[in-house]
Amino acid sequence: MDLTPDADQEALRVATADWCRDNMPLDGATSRPLGLWQQLEAMGWTAMTAPDMGLDHATEALVFAELGRFLAPVGLLASAVAARWVGGGKTALALPAADKVRVFDAEDTTAALGVWGEDAGIIMLPGRMDMQSGLDLSASLSVIDLALTPNVIGDPRARRHLQLLAAAFALGCADAARDMAADYAKIREQFDRPIGWFQSLKHICSDMAVRCAVARSQLYFAACALDADEADSAFHVAAAKRLADQAALENGRANIQVHGGIGMTDEAYPHYCLKRAHLLSFIAPVSTSHLLKEAA
Amino acid sequence: MDISFSPEEARFREECRDWLKDNVPAEKRPLNASDALDFDKAWQHRLFEAGWAGINWPTEYGGRGLSIVQQVIWLEEYAKAHAPWIGANFVGVNHGGPTLIMNASAAQKAYHLPRILKGEAIWCQGFSEPGAGSDLAGIKTRGHVDGNELVINGSKIWTSFAHVADWQELVLRTEEGLLRHKGLSWVISDMKAPGITIRPIRKISGQVEFAQVFYDDVRIPIDNVVGGLGNGWSVAMSTLSFERGTGFIADQVKQGQELDELIAMARGNGMIKDDRIADQLAQMRAEVAALRAMTYRNISEVVRTGQPGPEASVIRLFTSELGQRLERLGVLLMGEAALDFRYGDDNLVAGYLRGFAATIAGGTAQIQRDIIGERLLGLPKSR
Repeated sequence: MDLTPDADQEALRVATADWCRDNMPLDGATSRPLGLWQQLEAMGWTAMTAPDMGLDHATEALVFAELGRFLAPVGLLASAVAARWVGGGKTALALPAADKVRVFDAEDTTAALGVWGEDAGIIMLPGRMDMQSGLDLSASLSVIDLALTPNVIGDPRARRHLQLLAAAFALGCADAARDMAADYAKIREQFDRPIGWFQSLKHICSDMAVRCAVARSQLYFAACALDADEADSAFHVAAAKRLADQAALENGRANIQVHGGIGMTDEAYPHYCLKRAHLLSFIAPVSTSHLLKEAA
Repeated sequence: MDISFSPEEARFREECRDWLKDNVPAEKRPLNASDALDFDKAWQHRLFEAGWAGINWPTEYGGRGLSIVQQVIWLEEYAKAHAPWIGANFVGVNHGGPTLIMNASAAQKAYHLPRILKGEAIWCQGFSEPGAGSDLAGIKTRGHVDGNELVINGSKIWTSFAHVADWQELVLRTEEGLLRHKGLSWVISDMKAPGITIRPIRKISGQVEFAQVFYDDVRIPIDNVVGGLGNGWSVAMSTLSFERGTGFIADQVKQGQELDELIAMARGNGMIKDDRIADQLAQMRAEVAALRAMTYRNISEVVRTGQPGPEASVIRLFTSELGQRLERLGVLLMGEAALDFRYGDDNLVAGYLRGFAATIAGGTAQIQRDIIGERLLGLPKSR
């Protein structure tokens, strides 16, 4: 039993964070350069989950949490799951609703991956897609006004895989909001001292750290449970997703509060994390019954 | 990273399980204090005889000298087997003993550690005072050096097991004029010494589980100082991270069991059909799982580096608040039947009322949040 990253995993995690900081900073999330996806491909992040790479879920979770911290494109999630279970290159992210499908990051691809009911599935995209921006300004949004029937991926592990990686993204998003709030609380001064001196502000930040620690721990456990193909791995991944989504949403809101007036503005970055958190919460969402299943 | 245990650890788990299956007492721990004391001592002695006391304590003092992972396995199996709460041995086994292991002289260890493990000596804590709660460094109980003795005057409060304890881990001021953390000493104080008066205090749950202790010219040999005169603060702090790490594993397993009981209760009385109730239960199921994961991470960190990681401070806060959410929901599920509670009842209401201590004792939730903000996030110190 060891729930801390080993030296190789830690090196990969740090290398990922370093690359992201230099090439894909969070503050550029709403205006990514056109060639970013090719860069991500060249660095190996789009295909690292392919079966022949032999990477375990624990390592994937670590790397995706770092990518998520810099608000990497959500298309990476769909592409990673597609690479593992059906093969193929860039895949957009699909969020099916009753009478429509929302598709994110559909540039330069003809396929989208999402979850229909309990199954992960793939849809083919129409030739011409009208791409606009939605709530999360970091991803293009196209709406298909049809309830499409997907090609279902037979293996139930595909859905869990998407849930795990989305949880990792949400954890990274929560981490980013925590760090942004703590950094600001150290430099912003009121009443002649940093606002982080005041317990009312300090404790908001502490709670953000608690949510991250809780979500990260369960993410690691869930990834290991998937790797070991444990009987209750579906529960553990669901728990990880729920806690990571909560951490991302609540930290997203808290970060705006800590920033005060500037946190309300479009020009500052706190809203990036909050809006990303809302999008992530709809990817392979967790229902109450998932978490109560197999209970006493 | 992986969550599987080694074959050796798995065998150890089997061993624990087998012994507990045959040896956990059928009768419940008595509620009455003096019966409970006899019960606690007998049970601790039985654990010692069978080799289950002090699993990761040094062998020269009666421990097994095994790994912290084996200690975790034992505590998990112990709770799963519904083995009795450690009761009066809590402070000695979980706090006083570990502090002695880290700080005491060879003679102090040789005398006290085996007695703690065998259930022969009961310990209590003496940190808080009426005027020093969260502000622990503000303690005023004084020890005046007189030849080879300390003469102690003052008062401690919230002392659990004071009425049955043989020894107290007493932190007092031994040097006047020095401010705050300086001039404090950690002393092994004899609870039967002349000049000690104990005033029991009843809790909101009805139990008389703690007390105020008064010292009136109590004389304690200076040889009972642990870690040297004036070093009391660092001695007291040395076991705090331990307390935040493995100290709560049994509680965490019990929280999982209590949650399963609440889910069964909510299914039984139909309240699970209320989406808000179901959602709370689902949330806590995820949190109980995460708490175990967080503890495993912390233990892994100890194995890897020799000490708990900075996130260890989160475990204590999260455990205590999760426990309170569970207790609150338990009372909600009881409905109006909660109103029938009387002092002496041992049910969900008693647990709910007793549970308010979790975010007060051993550092309030507010102090824990200060620590997390300052040590984990590097925010400026407020105190």
